[in-house]
Order: sequence, then C-alpha cells, then structure tokens
Amino acid sequence: MKSAPFTYHAPTAVEEAAALLAAHGERARVLAGGQSLVPLMHRRIERPEHLVDLNRIVGLDRLEADAEGLRIGATVRQRQVEGDAAVAARWPLLVEAIAEVAHPAIRNRGTVVGSLCNADPSAELPSAALALGGTIVAAGPDGERQIPLARFFAGPGETALARSELALELRLPAPAPRTGSAWLELARRGGDLPVAGVAAVVGLDSGGRCERVRLACANAAPVPLDCGREAEALLGAAVDEEGAAAVGSAVAAAADPVDDYQGSAAERRRVLAVLVRRALLRAAARAEGRS
Amino acid sequence: MARLDAARLLRGQGHYIADIERVGMLHACFVRSPHAHARLGAVDGGAALALEGVVAVLAAADFPHRPLLDSVRIEGLRKTPQPALASERVRFQGEPVAVVLASSRARAEDGAELVRVEYEPLAPVLDAEAAAAGAGPDLFEGGNLLYRGEIVAGDVEGAFAAADHVVSARYHGNRYAAVPMEARGCVAEHDPGSGELTLWCSTQGPHQLRRRRSQTVGLPESHIRVIAPDVGGAFGQKIPAHAEEVAIALAARAVGRPVRWIEDRLENLLAAPHAKEQLIETELALAADGTFLGLRARILGDAGAYSHNSTSALIEPYLSAGLMPGVYAVRDYSCEILAAVTNKSPVAPYRGVGWTAGHTARELLIEKAARHLGVDPAALRRRNMVDAFPYESCTGMLYDSGSYVASLDRALAEIGYEELHRDRGAPAVGEPAVGVGVSPYVEPTGWGSDGALQSRWSFASHDSVRIEIDPSGAVTAAVGTPSQGQGHETMLAQIVADGLGVELDRVRVVSGDTAGTPISTAGTRASRTAVVVGGALALAAEELRAKLERIAAYLLGAEPEDVRIEAGRVAVAGDPDREATLREVAEAAFYDPALRARMPDPSLSVSRFHDPPASYANGCVVAMVEVDVETGAVTLRRLLSVEDCGTVVNPALVDGQVRGALVQGVGGALLEQVRYGEDGALLSGDLRRYKLPKATDVPAIELHHECSPSPFTVNGMKGVGESGAIAAPAAVAAAVADAVAHLGVEIESLPIDTGRIVAAAAGEGS
Amino acid sequence: MSEPGRTAIELTVNGETRRGEVEPRMTLADFLREELRLTGTHVGCEDGFCGACTVHLDGSSVRSCLLYAVQAAGREVHTVESLAGPDGELHPLQEAFRRNHGLQCGFCTPGMLMSALELAQSRERDGAAEPPDEAEIRTAIAGNICRCTGYQGIVDAIAEALRD
Ligand SMILES: Cc1cc2nc3c(=O)[nH]c(=O)nc-3n(C[C@H](O)[C@H](O)[C@H](O)COP(=O)(O)OP(=O)(O)OC[C@H]3O[C@@H](n4cnc5c(N)ncnc54)[C@H](O)[C@@H]3O)c2cc1C
Ligand code: FES
Ligand code: FES
Repeated sequence: MKSAPFTYHAPTAVEEAAALLAAHGERARVLAGGQSLVPLMHRRIERPEHLVDLNRIVGLDRLEADAEGLRIGATVRQRQVEGDAAVAARWPLLVEAIAEVAHPAIRNRGTVVGSLCNADPSAELPSAALALGGTIVAAGPDGERQIPLARFFAGPGETALARSELALELRLPAPAPRTGSAWLELARRGGDLPVAGVAAVVGLDSGGRCERVRLACANAAPVPLDCGREAEALLGAAVDEEGAAAVGSAVAAAADPVDDYQGSAAERRRVLAVLVRRALLRAAARAEGRS
Repeated sequence: MARLDAARLLRGQGHYIADIERVGMLHACFVRSPHAHARLGAVDGGAALALEGVVAVLAAADFPHRPLLDSVRIEGLRKTPQPALASERVRFQGEPVAVVLASSRARAEDGAELVRVEYEPLAPVLDAEAAAAGAGPDLFEGGNLLYRGEIVAGDVEGAFAAADHVVSARYHGNRYAAVPMEARGCVAEHDPGSGELTLWCSTQGPHQLRRRRSQTVGLPESHIRVIAPDVGGAFGQKIPAHAEEVAIALAARAVGRPVRWIEDRLENLLAAPHAKEQLIETELALAADGTFLGLRARILGDAGAYSHNSTSALIEPYLSAGLMPGVYAVRDYSCEILAAVTNKSPVAPYRGVGWTAGHTARELLIEKAARHLGVDPAALRRRNMVDAFPYESCTGMLYDSGSYVASLDRALAEIGYEELHRDRGAPAVGEPAVGVGVSPYVEPTGWGSDGALQSRWSFASHDSVRIEIDPSGAVTAAVGTPSQGQGHETMLAQIVADGLGVELDRVRVVSGDTAGTPISTAGTRASRTAVVVGGALALAAEELRAKLERIAAYLLGAEPEDVRIEAGRVAVAGDPDREATLREVAEAAFYDPALRARMPDPSLSVSRFHDPPASYANGCVVAMVEVDVETGAVTLRRLLSVEDCGTVVNPALVDGQVRGALVQGVGGALLEQVRYGEDGALLSGDLRRYKLPKATDVPAIELHHECSPSPFTVNGMKGVGESGAIAAPAAVAAAVADAVAHLGVEIESLPIDTGRIVAAAAGEGS
Repeated sequence: MSEPGRTAIELTVNGETRRGEVEPRMTLADFLREELRLTGTHVGCEDGFCGACTVHLDGSSVRSCLLYAVQAAGREVHTVESLAGPDGELHPLQEAFRRNHGLQCGFCTPGMLMSALELAQSRERDGAAEPPDEAEIRTAIAGNICRCTGYQGIVDAIAEALRD
C-alpha cells in the first residue's frame, strides 16, 4: 500500500495552482487535507501523476464570519471550524456534524472544503453544508465562479468542478432569527461514516409555526439528498410528532440508498425515516429555544 | 506489579519485525490472485524486471519446494497441500502467485502491478453448506467435504424420546479475524558459507516454524534459526507457518540477499488466516422442570480454501463439538461434525478457536429454551450446572475444579440481575430497550498432551525450559514460548524468582530465538504458557535451588537443609552471622576447585521438561445492553466478568488478558465480519469495513475473581487468556435477544443483524 | 524505467533539524522510520484508521501515514521518542501507562501516547479546571485502535496522568 510515483507541486498562489491544474488536466489531483485522497493513493485507486498541494497557498486558510455569513477557506481544517466560537454560536449544525467526523487527528488535517469536493454521499459535511444553503467559490482558468451546493454534487466523488478548477472557499449565509438546527446520524461506531445521517434546519415565525425548513440526508442517495420538497409539508404549522413522521416517511420513499457493508437499502430507509423525524423535532425545539 | 519490559515499549524502543534492517536487504511484495477461483496459467515478470530497482520476480516454478500440509492426525480428514506460491490453481482471492523483490516496498509494488498472470476463472464456492452437499466445482480432487464424523455419548435418542420439551435453533457464527495491530511479516537471510538460514518472524511459535521451514525448504533444522522479535499482537494468527514466510525464505536463498516482507493491512484482511465461521444446528431436550436431558448438534466448519497447514479444516467444528456441553451436566449428547473447503482465505486459530461459535450457539439455544418454558434463563442455567469436581464430561474432558455456580451467582449479584429483570415488558415509546445476557463458561487451558487429548485433538506438545545462573549471580531463564504482549516475561520471572528465592530484577527471561532457547513444539497458544512453561520453571527452579543450597552449605560449613535462600541472600538457619551472597555461591560453583571434589557437577544450569495434566478455567460473563429498536443502535452499557483461573501469579497481567479477550468478543458480537461478494471478492479489505471495537464502543469493564486452584497443576495454576473471546459474544447476543424479545426477533447470527430489529420495530418483515 | 526522482527536504524532528532526500510518495511515517530510524512510530494500516502512526505536526496530532514527507518540509514534527527525558526517564503519561498496564504488545502505544498528549496539551491550553471524565478520554483516543488491552488500562492511565 504505497502510492504510485507522482510529481509533487506546492504552489503558493491560487493562480499558480490553477495554471498547474490547467496544464495537467486529468493527470493532476488537488491535495488538501489528504485524509480521503491519500488512502486512495496508497491503494492506487487514485494515481495522479501530478499532485497539487494547496497547503502552502497564502490566504486559503482564512475562516471569517461577518454579517453576511461564513467563509471557510480551502485549507481551513475541520478542527479549526469545530473550535471556533462564532461558528458555534451561529452555525451550530456545522459543529455538531464535524464532531461526528472521524477523530481529532483526522480533523486536524482534513478540511471542510475538501470533504465537500470529495463528494462522498455518506459523509457528514456535504449534507450539513447543503442544509445550511452553502455555496462553493471556485477558481479556474477563466477566473472565479460561484456554485451553490444544490448544484455542486454530481455523484459519488463527482462534483460540478472542472478538472482545471479548484474550490477556494465555502460560503454559508447568515442564519435567520428563530432558527434551530440538528445533525443526527446512525453510525456503527463513533467517528465512522454514518449508516445514514440527517441535517435539519427549521425556522419558526413568532407564532411558533414553521416558516422555513431545510433538510438534507447523508447516505440516502448517490449525492447528499436535498429533501427540501418533502419537508415543505411542515410549512405553516407547528412542527409536531405526526408532521415530522410524515416527512420521515416521504424521505424514506424518495431515498435511493445503497446496500453496503453498513446495512441494506431497506434498513437505511427505515432508519432515515426515524432520523428525519427526530432531527426535525429537535431542530424545531431548538428554534423555540427549548433544549 | 508492573511489567518489566514496559518502559522500553513506552519509549518507542521496541523492535518489531518492520524495524529489522539487514545490509543489502530487498523488499518483497506478493502478486496475489484477484480471483477467488481460477486455473493459473503463465506468470510473466518481464515488464516488472524492466523497472530499475526491481531485482527479481519469482513464481512457483522458480523454487521447487514441498507444499505445506496440515499436521493434524485425525482419521478421515482429507489433506489439501498448499504450495508457498500457487501453481496450477488459485483457490482464494489474495492467494500469493508470485513475489517481486526490489529496492523498496514501493518499488516492489510498482513491479507487482506489472507482472502479467494468466487466469482462467472458475466458479467460486462460497457457501459451506452447498460445498458440503457437493454443489459447485471441486477445489480439490475428491470433493469439497473434507471430513464427516460424529461424537455420540450416552443415549440421545432415549433422552429426546423422554423429553417434555424440545427446543431447536440455528446459528451462523460469523467469520472474523484476529487482526493484530501489527500484521504479519518476516525477514530472511541465507548465509551461503555456512548454509544457515536466519528468519526473523512475527510468530508465536519459533520452533514450530523452524520445523515447518525445514520440511518445505529442505534444510535440516540445525541450519535454520528462527527469531521472534517483539510481536505486535498475534491472538493465534501468528501460530501457523504461513505460505508467504516460506516463499520469503526461498526467495532469500534464490537471490542471495536478505529479504523483508511486511504485510500491509489489505493483505492482512485478505490473505492472513480468517477464523471462527461455523454453521450450527442445535436441539435441546428438557424435562418439564427444565432439566436438560439431551443435546444434539450438527456443526459445519467453513474452512476456507485449504485445510490449514498448522491446524487443519477441523480446528473449528471439531473443538466446538468437544466443548458443546459446556458447564452443563449433559450426559446424552450427539454431534455430527463436518468440514468443507470454500474459496475464502483459510481458517486458522484465533483466540478461543473452535469454542466461540459452539459456546454462542449453545447459550442462545438455552435463551430460547428459557423463553419457550417461560423461566428465567439464569435460573435454567443454574439448575443444569456441573457442581461437583472433578467431573468427567460426556465428551471426555476432566473438569478438574471450578466455581461454576458460585461464579454465576456472583455475576448475577454484581450486575444486579434481579433488579434488571424485574417487571420488564416492552420499553416505553422513545425509551431504549434494555437487555441482560448471561454467559457462564468453561475453558480448557494449559494445553499439554493431556489437555489436547481430552479435547480429542492431535497436538504435538513438548516443552522444556532452562534456568542458568552465571558467575555474577544473575539468573537467566530460557523458554521456547515468546510473548506477544501478555507480559509472560514478567510472570515467568516472578515464578523463577519465587522458586529460587531471589529478587525479581535478578531474573531475565529470554525467549523467541531458536538458537538459544529450549524447544517448545507448540509455542505460545491455547492459554498454556503459565501452566506448562510456568510449571516447568517452578520445577526447574526447585532443582536449582537445591543445588545452590548444597554449594552454600559447603561455603558456610552447614548442612544443606539448614541453608535458607531469601531475596538473594544465603544464610544458615538460626545463625544469622553465617551468610553469603548469591554471587559468592555462584562464583564458588564456577571457580572454586575444592568444591569440585565434593560436588562433581556444580553447574548452575537446570533443564526441565514438563507436560502437565489438563486444567479447566471457568467463569461467567454478563452484558447489559440498550437497543434503540427504531434505528437498531446497540449500546453496550455494562460488561462484567467473574473469572476463575485457579492460582494467579500476577493479577494485573491476568486482568489485562481477560479484558482484551472480552473486547475482542464484543467485536465479534457487534461489529466484526469478513465479507465476500458473490464473485468471491473480499468486501472488508480495510479497517473502515472490517470494524474493530474502538475505545468508545466498550464500557469500563467490571472484573471479579473466584479462585479454584487446580488439584493437578504446579501451584494450582490454570491458564487464562481466551475466556472473554469465548464467552462475551454469547453474553452480548443474549442481552440483545433479551432486549428485542418483545418484537419477536431471534438472534441467529452475529454480528447482530440490526436490519431485522429495525424491520420488526417498524412492524414489517425484513 | 529508472527509479522515481527524489526531493531534498529539511524539517525539525524532536527539536533537531533533519534533512533527507525522498521520493515525493514517501509518507512521513516511512521517512521517520526508514530514513531517520525513528522506529517508535508504527504503521498499522496506512489508511488513517488505526492511529498507530500518530505524531504531532506543528503541535497537533496527525496521521503520519496520510502525510507525504515532502509536505512536512519546514515543519516541526514530534514523535513518541520525544516524550522521555534525556536519560530515558519516562514522561508522566508514559509512567502512568506503565503503572496502569496501559499496554500489552506495545504496537498501538506510541500512537496512543501522542493522542493522549494532545488531550493533555489542549486541556492545558484551554485552562481546563476539572480532570477529564472517562467519556472524554475515550473520545480522545477513539481514533487509536488497540487490539490487546480492551482499553481499560489505557483509559485509567490517562485519567491518572491528567489528574496529577
Ligand atoms: C480514518 C478516517 C476516518 C474518516 N471518517 C470520516 C467520517 O466519519 N466522516 C467524514 O465525512 N469523513 C471522514 N473521513 C474523511 C475526512 O473527513 C476527509 O478529511 C475529507 O473527506 C476530505 O478532506 P481533505 O481535506 O482531507 O481532502 P483531500 O483528501 O485532500 O481531498 C479529497 C478530494 O477532494 C479534492 N479536493 C480537496 N480539496 C479541493 C479543493 N479545494 N478544490 C478542488 N478539489 C479538492 C481532492 O482532489 C480529492 O479528490 C475520514 C478519513 C479518515 C482517514
Ligand atoms: S498507520 Fe496511519 S493510521 Fe494506521
Ligand atoms: S497493546 Fe497491542 S495493540 Fe494496543
């Protein structure tokens, strides 16, 4: 389990990295935290001839929260986001989800943006960031563009990024008032990729009725599953057990989960229904300031 | 008392197999079959050899050798020779086909990718039941069923005819694996001048390995030296002589340079021996009052692709059958034993070999019987337990002593069984379902020839030890059983120090090098080191002490029986002024010519052979779980064990063994499974898919002790080390079965099938 | 085909400047072990799962099997060999492991110690007043797999070291 030979590049500027990617195309890979890419390289499932390491690019390690929202640079480590006070206060869903990602030593290296680019449908962060309405800022030969996460994921390991593009940062909008969120997952062991996971964000009006809701599920489909449509049924009323359970059933029906080493598709559907129900109730309770 | 070698390992100063470097050493990578079953054609290493740094590509044809054969002599067992590198046929995915030698492991992997091998795929045989029934292509001439036999004790038919209740169950014991954190590996160096082959190998049995090597490589044993360095965990997987190790020895000889092979994790999960898979049907006959009248079983072992060279295809089902009655007073018992080959990695020993699956099947059967009769499962067990010793089981095991009932009662009291079991219907909505599982066990330990015989197993056991004192008074004990982290050196040193009457830090225990240690044919396995080797050392120390006393008597002008040796000081009883140091006594033995006249053989070296009678440890494991039935999440809340392994030399080391084994058992119950696809390709080739328990998967383990010394062994010691691996899966499985009983879910296989629980909770079939 | 090219690197390991010429594909773990002969860092999976290879990079724990040595150029690495004092006297964590039987075969031990060290250091940084509870300790080492001990001795050792 040793990587195949490659040429190593450590650009210090975005333009330099973009030029390398443009020059080497399919034969190049971007290296961020390496916590997903390097194991695949050791098994020679990935065998880039050129490895473009982002870690020495100046400025990609910025984590900034302001009135507009949150910006997480491409080399910001998961551990850093997890420990950030502003993130904990305003995007607690992110912290809750990151806490379930692997273990400290992995999160010390692994990046948030890298996890999104890795596009593992079972991973926590793609679904969590999707539920938070995130957008990727990408840079390529033709300059920068913004890709909403709703259009970013294309399949397991596949994204809307061109081979010549790199993701510069993830942007999350500022949360509205009276918003509650919850990340819930079933994992066979702590730190494992979930059998199934659910990110729920519920916004209430002053009367406690559901005004906004976002719902995304991990390991429910070949991409992080946006269940906004199923969740819409909750709008205009208080989120209760029955309503949440109905959304759970709808999600289970809409899901297209895999059969794999962690469980069957049928089992995943049942688990998803339960997790969706529980996550919605918990998010609503938090929006009300309960629990 | 802390371990003597701990500081070295804590500083990072251990020497494991991957730390060994030799001048001019090459690195090996095996080319392994991607197919589960195929005819093997030409192997072409040309493209690999064109890479700079690749030195050789060797296939079976490049080094003729005798294939490995299993060593077990049991009538009716068909042998299946396994070559070091496959020729003509590959029988499991990962079987080594060629070996590439290069300047680095990375370069060897580059080369291995370029080796072209012709395969003609055959249909794989993956289902042991089908294999036993003769379906599918034969792996070997003569068919895939290698053995069919039976045990019959008493009048089983009569017992079942007289029964008021008959309960039957099926159990598919999962295929899992030892997965030591250090995978396998070896370094081979051949000295063309002396013709000597030196092999550093991560092994549990250096002497056995030397013999196997000699048989296959064609060198006399005197010309082979096997050295076991620090071993990073083994648990049985490092008992066998592995095909890869033979190939590396042959390769080193072929190229005339030292060769190192360090197994990576993929290889370890794919091609290192697997373990434990059995398909078991059981049937229990009970009287109206719950008395066990008779027991019937059929056990089929899934041996994988070869009858393993160290043990055989029978290692699982045969041992399982022998211990099936367990702690219960069953006299009428019959069992059909079958072993079949399939296109999977071969099965070899792993902690609690054979016994884990059989024990689990029986305990789940008893759980089912208790539910059927509407009685408490712990009470049903107690009613049927052996309670007078020695007791000869219906399969011929002589249970020497024990605390079967006392251990059960103690375990129940410590867990608060009555509280937990009181008034428990279905859980309230939103609350987890709670369950308790009780698993009392008996464990054959300290295998010498008698222990093996009582398990009806053919097992070569021959162990001697040597204790020497040098002129400085330092003591060296040489044993043939290396340690893989059990802390044997410390425990054995304590026995020697006690036996001689010297301080612990004066004693050094050496093991692991065939050049300097007396032979142990079996090596470290089967919870035998304390009883067999410890027993031998106690006897040797007694003999050596007598010699010291005679020399001291001469020096101090006293009678030998008046000499006292204590904490390294030698004195005359009742005369504290007449005393000497151990160094003075030792010096006299070596350098005092006058002594020679009185004592023609003053040598301070004693060798001792020991082959103790069988002994049986016992105890009881209890697990308490919470099951979130809607998601199938099982949380192990408490894990408790009462252990009785007779006289204990070093309690901390015993506790370490017990805890480690318990957690391995928990892994087998909840997480671990080797998985294959329908094409025979491994699906569990990394530690994401092959799930070992993490620190967060287990609670603080509660240990309690009973002590029933063995009347048959030196100092009353019994072995320890496997009980948790045998009994914990059943405890956890029974606890889950208890928790989900209200849903009508039975546990029929491990790891727990959460899909069935979730389906039942949703009110649907799975 | 000729052997792949090598890159010169310089980094600080356990406080000393070390140089090497490595293939870019060589991991930090292999560099430490094979080139610097610091064999206390163990390799148990090369997938990031076992934790045996855990070292500290610029003060935080990382998997040295998932980092290429070239990436560590100019950085500061600490391995298990940095824990004991110059005369071999054990670090308080090591001493606690010894007293509490926090090891059997010793293969996972270096990685365990480096994860435990990070827990100790981060608690010190955060000015934690109370000693960690058992759950916190277990979570901190959950990425380090031990096949021998059942974890109890390890958890006890860390609890003891962080209490004193
Ligand atoms: C033992 C272990 C356990 C894990 N458990 C979990 C878990 O439970 N949940 C979970 O979600 N993850 C888990 N992971 C994965 C971990 O979270 C990774 O860190 C993450 O998925 C990828 O982030 P990275 O920065 O390491 O990316 P890398 O591994 O560097 O890259 C991943 C992929 O994304 C591409 N990429 C990365 N950054 C960019 C960029 N800026 N622009 C363009 N392409 C880019 C790379 O080319 C590569 O294809 C685990 C990893 C390990 C080793
Ligand atoms: S070797 Fe790095 S985590 Fe296992
Ligand atoms: S002590 Fe052996 S793996 Fe932990």
